[in-house]
Amino acid sequence: MQLQLFSWIFPPKTDDVRATAKDRMRSMLTHDRLELPAGRLETLEEELMAVVGRYFELDKDTTHFDLQQYERRASLIANFRLLRSKC
Amino acid sequence: MSGRVIVITSGKGGVGKTTASANIGVALASTGVSVALVDMDIGLRNLDILMGLENRVVYNLVDVVEERCKLRQALVKDKKLPNLSLLPAAQTRDKSAVNAEQMKALCNELKSMYDFVLVDSPAGIEQGFQNAVAGADEAIVITTPEMSAVRDADRIIGLLEARKDEIKEYRLVLNRYRPTMVANNDMMSVDDVLEILSVKLLGVVPEDEDIIISTNKGEPISGTDNIRAGLAYRNIARRIRGEDVAIMDLESKNTTWINKIVSFFNPTVRV
Repeated sequence: MQLQLFSWIFPPKTDDVRATAKDRMRSMLTHDRLELPAGRLETLEEELMAVVGRYFELDKDTTHFDLQQYERRASLIANFRLLRSKC
Repeated sequence: MSGRVIVITSGKGGVGKTTASANIGVALASTGVSVALVDMDIGLRNLDILMGLENRVVYNLVDVVEERCKLRQALVKDKKLPNLSLLPAAQTRDKSAVNAEQMKALCNELKSMYDFVLVDSPAGIEQGFQNAVAGADEAIVITTPEMSAVRDADRIIGLLEARKDEIKEYRLVLNRYRPTMVANNDMMSVDDVLEILSVKLLGVVPEDEDIIISTNKGEPISGTDNIRAGLAYRNIARRIRGEDVAIMDLESKNTTWINKIVSFFNPTVRV
């Protein structure tokens, strides 16, 4: 009851600074650990799209690039949505 | 005797590294083991002040290395704990006064005299840090939950990983933790920081004004009962000794005025 009363007087904030900090931190450390300059990943993405695009027609809106961390090691996850092959 | 040499390091300055060194030293010595605290922040000596020993410093670490005195002459005994000693840093020299080989030799000698040798490292990742870790078997990385401190801690962890052969283990102490801010989603939580750094946790020390008071008195807080930060340091000491001590529940205690009023009238209510 008291709990409800307090959350009524002081509504919980919707602005999640904690999640923002965590996301920025994760991306920053991924770049730090790989010594990866800003923008480099985007260049790679464009080049990879061009190469795969020579063989397949791609659904560019759902193609997805992501750097993931596991135990301080990074993996590059690239997901190409293929429509059909180019002969 | 062969003691454990543990370097206390952070990368970023001002996160409470020296305070942590003093408190972990006192807390460890209070469990009965012998402890030597080594101040490697040459040129910026501070550990003596936190220990309240600044008036007893005669010789320092550089005097020992340059053989102006014996090691035993430079070690300053703590006022309360006879099994705790401080090896002060030189105040008038700089970080180049000691090299890694000399530090290794010094740590080996201290290891033969004490159960634990705690080395307070200078901030930064340059030579001063490299010297401080030179003789260490283990490391404690101190950070606060702020982004710049976590980033620098990550650099330090990278450098410690590169020394895997010498540094067998490293664990994190999260300092100046503010549970109320975490509860309001204004700050990263313990789990957030651990996940991002992929590191083992040694302890969490809540933000506590009593730390400043204890520094001004020259009495490390871990010697004082019923202060949360002091208990946190005593738990850290027990974990260093291999005991399995649960991380204390920081989230349940709120300190806003409204919560204080509520808990004054009804201590069983936790908001």
